[in-house]
Amino acid sequence: MEDIEDFGVWLGRQLRRNGMSQAELAQQLKLTRAAVSAWVTGRAQPRAEVMVRIAEILETDVATLLTRDADAGSDRPIGWYHRIAHHDGGREYGNAAAFAFDASLAVLAREATQNSLDERLDPRRPVRVRFTLHELTGEHLHSFLSALKWEELEPHFAAAARSRQKVGRTLSEGLRALREDASLLLLRIDDYNASGLTGPEYEDGRYAAVVRRQLDSHKSNDRAGGSYGLGKATLWAASRLGLVLINSTLSEPHEGRTARRVIGRLDLPWREVDGVAYAGPAWLGEPDTEKTHEGVSRSWWADERVVADLQLDRESEDPGTSFLIVGAHDAAGNSDMLEDLHAELGRALSDNFWAAMTAGRSAPAMLEASVRSLRNGESVVAEQRVDPLDRHPALVHALRSYIDGETVEELTAPGQVAATEVGLVVPPLRTAGRKAAGGNHSAVLLVTPAADKDEKHSRIICMRGNRMTVTARSPRNLGMGADPFQAVLLAGFATGDDSSTTHAAEAFLRAAEPPEHDRWGVTEELTAAYANAPRRLTEFNSAMDTALRRVIGRRVPGGDSTGPEVLRKLLRLDAPAGVGTRRGHPAVDRVVGKVDESGAWTLDVTLTVPQRDGGWQLLPVVKFDVRSGGRPSLDWAELSAKENCEVVGGRLVIEPDVRSARFGGVTAVGSHPVAAAMAGVIVDVQQAREAST
Amino acid sequence: MSAVYAYPTLVGKIEVAVRGASMDGKPLQLSLISQRDQVVALHQVERDDWTEGVLDLEVSLPTEELAEGPWAGVSCVAVLTEGATNTRVVSRLERRRGDTHWRGQVRVRRSTHASRALLDVSVVGSHGGVDGRILGRADTPWLVDLLGRTPSRQRDLEILEEDFRDGPEEWLRPFMDAPWLIDTTGELPTILLNTSFEGLSELLSGARGPLEKATAGLVAAQIAGEAWATMFHSALSDLEFDDDGTPHFPGGWRESVLRSMLPEVFPGLPLHDALREAHDCRGAGRGWAEVQSRIEVAAGKRSQMPKNLVATIRAVSRAQEGTYR
Repeated sequence: MEDIEDFGVWLGRQLRRNGMSQAELAQQLKLTRAAVSAWVTGRAQPRAEVMVRIAEILETDVATLLTRDADAGSDRPIGWYHRIAHHDGGREYGNAAAFAFDASLAVLAREATQNSLDERLDPRRPVRVRFTLHELTGEHLHSFLSALKWEELEPHFAAAARSRQKVGRTLSEGLRALREDASLLLLRIDDYNASGLTGPEYEDGRYAAVVRRQLDSHKSNDRAGGSYGLGKATLWAASRLGLVLINSTLSEPHEGRTARRVIGRLDLPWREVDGVAYAGPAWLGEPDTEKTHEGVSRSWWADERVVADLQLDRESEDPGTSFLIVGAHDAAGNSDMLEDLHAELGRALSDNFWAAMTAGRSAPAMLEASVRSLRNGESVVAEQRVDPLDRHPALVHALRSYIDGETVEELTAPGQVAATEVGLVVPPLRTAGRKAAGGNHSAVLLVTPAADKDEKHSRIICMRGNRMTVTARSPRNLGMGADPFQAVLLAGFATGDDSSTTHAAEAFLRAAEPPEHDRWGVTEELTAAYANAPRRLTEFNSAMDTALRRVIGRRVPGGDSTGPEVLRKLLRLDAPAGVGTRRGHPAVDRVVGKVDESGAWTLDVTLTVPQRDGGWQLLPVVKFDVRSGGRPSLDWAELSAKENCEVVGGRLVIEPDVRSARFGGVTAVGSHPVAAAMAGVIVDVQQAREAST
Repeated sequence: MSAVYAYPTLVGKIEVAVRGASMDGKPLQLSLISQRDQVVALHQVERDDWTEGVLDLEVSLPTEELAEGPWAGVSCVAVLTEGATNTRVVSRLERRRGDTHWRGQVRVRRSTHASRALLDVSVVGSHGGVDGRILGRADTPWLVDLLGRTPSRQRDLEILEEDFRDGPEEWLRPFMDAPWLIDTTGELPTILLNTSFEGLSELLSGARGPLEKATAGLVAAQIAGEAWATMFHSALSDLEFDDDGTPHFPGGWRESVLRSMLPEVFPGLPLHDALREAHDCRGAGRGWAEVQSRIEVAAGKRSQMPKNLVATIRAVSRAQEGTYR
């Protein structure tokens, strides 16, 4: 990784850092400008004695010129640059993009991880994402704030917090917590095996998309739905202070270097400090010496000590980016306890990315994610790999079977996964002209019986792209009585297919998503780009339902025999009984009993009695229970009232207004057809009829 | 109405699941097994001639209660019964070491069953020196349906269209002049509509215009009314009894019919008492004539005769106003 940087690239940067032009250097060396230009562009190398002169001019030694592992001269001072307010007097009290999202930790986890997935570098390895919650207090907090040059920022925070806008309230709460609790929560999101923030400082590229621009979704290819688009706003929204520091290891060198490109960005509302009005954003970096951007803070190549002081040190040279959210909070959460936030992040990662984290036997997962929590550098909750099986066993099993090619056509045993095709007609782009034909994309629906423990089931989880969940929809017209199931719909690239119709389907579905990427519906972008799009989406949904019904649905009841509907509806056997206001009747609620020494059953029976004006006369009946056929009746040797009833001539007499009654009874051994201990008894009460002797 | 035993029984729940099934070695689609309704539809559209079905059973027992209880030699058995054929097959389930569930297979021979078998699971053990005590039983038995194409507890009756005069069914010839026939002798009550009775099918299936529709409704109500009354009588004539003459509810469609109509025939009586009353009246003839009228009224109500009649009268009078105007 640390190959020696080209001399020309290195020299060019030194000139810029010193605010020196090629002509000026040439003049001091008494050489032509063309000679310097040839060095900078790498066409030629200066001779040894010229090297010595260059080292003198740049105030460094020759060794540095040869190894080129550091910049010449003293470090340029790192500082904050605040954008001056607009000349037209316009004021912005917040970032509109940030308001488009719920500012919850779960949304942050989703958006940040999705960006990392979209920027995966080596497709044979998963992109690794690590979330670190880090609480700083005391000396740790103090040294972090001084590395951050907090004293430069404080007047800006104080001014911005005075604003009565929403942003001002969040800010003052953040400042209050910092002041009173003397603690600060950092949330760091690292990715490895990702592109990193490549590209120039101000022109198009990943770096500028994140650091310099709003609403610019940098599209590296047609697979990523525009990484670092709206979603990056959630990073700043998750900070009470609107402050995010960034350290990136680049996959392609910029200015000849890759490691430790560092920049900080602060999003504050309009404010006035010491009589100067500021527009909003501010950047922490090296002051730019180029004429067009003079004084603007730009990213710098930091040394290892600085990144450690700023809590930005990365654990390996694997390319990727670390975002440090300063003053992190969960706007949706009830608790800001470290342990709760930790759990919330784990849940969000598992729920949104179980599919990307699912590996097959031969195919690695696309994503590996973990969460850890620290307090002042000491581990509070150890690093935990998010295991998709923990929360979504059936879904992971379904996807894994698909990746491993072990799906079946119809389900015959638990644990099986059925795969079936769902057609999506992708209409042609309007720009393709009238005669252009659309394509037929084959999405895949995976279905498996739900596991007993699944809390959420019987929905179709719809995904596309690198297996991001777009929506979970409830199927319609499934028919009666289907057992709980889990279903996953893979569309577009999520199918693993790479044909041109798959590309077209992916683009079509992406156009059907709102900025939150949480459903497929009619969007402005969709109707602008495609003819007939709403109908195709409706057809797609009903094709899903039909496919699902084929796998798990029951045939329509009554399919065995039809007959005219007008007649059938009058002959439903399951129709409720016609008399709606049936009054209740006394019933046996509880029976307790045992067999005594003489072999007779002694029983204690409790009845529930509904209220009625007339009272009740009941005949208690006792029988032996048998497996089938007629039950032998027993005689009572003795009947006794215990609560709320009287025994009169073998009948129970119960007064009106009684709600519960109890009586006792002993069976007559002579009436037992078998020994009492060899049978169970049941007790019932019948309404006594009029004496009919 | 649960039984009391002379020895301690299980309080904990016994849960039974049919995890898979096959017919003559061919695995059955899981959609033919309903965990929710606890029904297996042993049916494959392509084949009627199967000889044996196998169900894979998984049973969870209250393990702790069993381990700490006063019982010995505990085992778990599945019992497959069908009243119509008097079949009773017991299969022993087993628990492997380390497994939390009891598992086993239940064989269903086509030749020993008519239509619907019950699959119950019992826990058996010894207590006080007596072996073979039933310690507990699953709350709801599973239903194995050998005829149904869908695993549901409820079965509708059949409505068939047949040519009484020239059709293949010889036994319908004597009824060639009847527009319909209600047959309650089979497994399911069947309503046969006579296609040789001109216009009947067309009227019931394809009525157009208010007058035709009202007429179709009235005819349907007439057929349904007869069907309900016939089914009620048929169900009442096929009961089993306790020693003291208390009738049991018969199960299947007969029970559904009795349960839905008895409260209207004998309002104010509990269901079991109403059943006994109905049976006694029928047997002894005491008050049977009066009960007959009540059955007719209840059947008419089930078939929505009053509503359909009102609709027809209105439609007819409106049509007549139209002609006279």
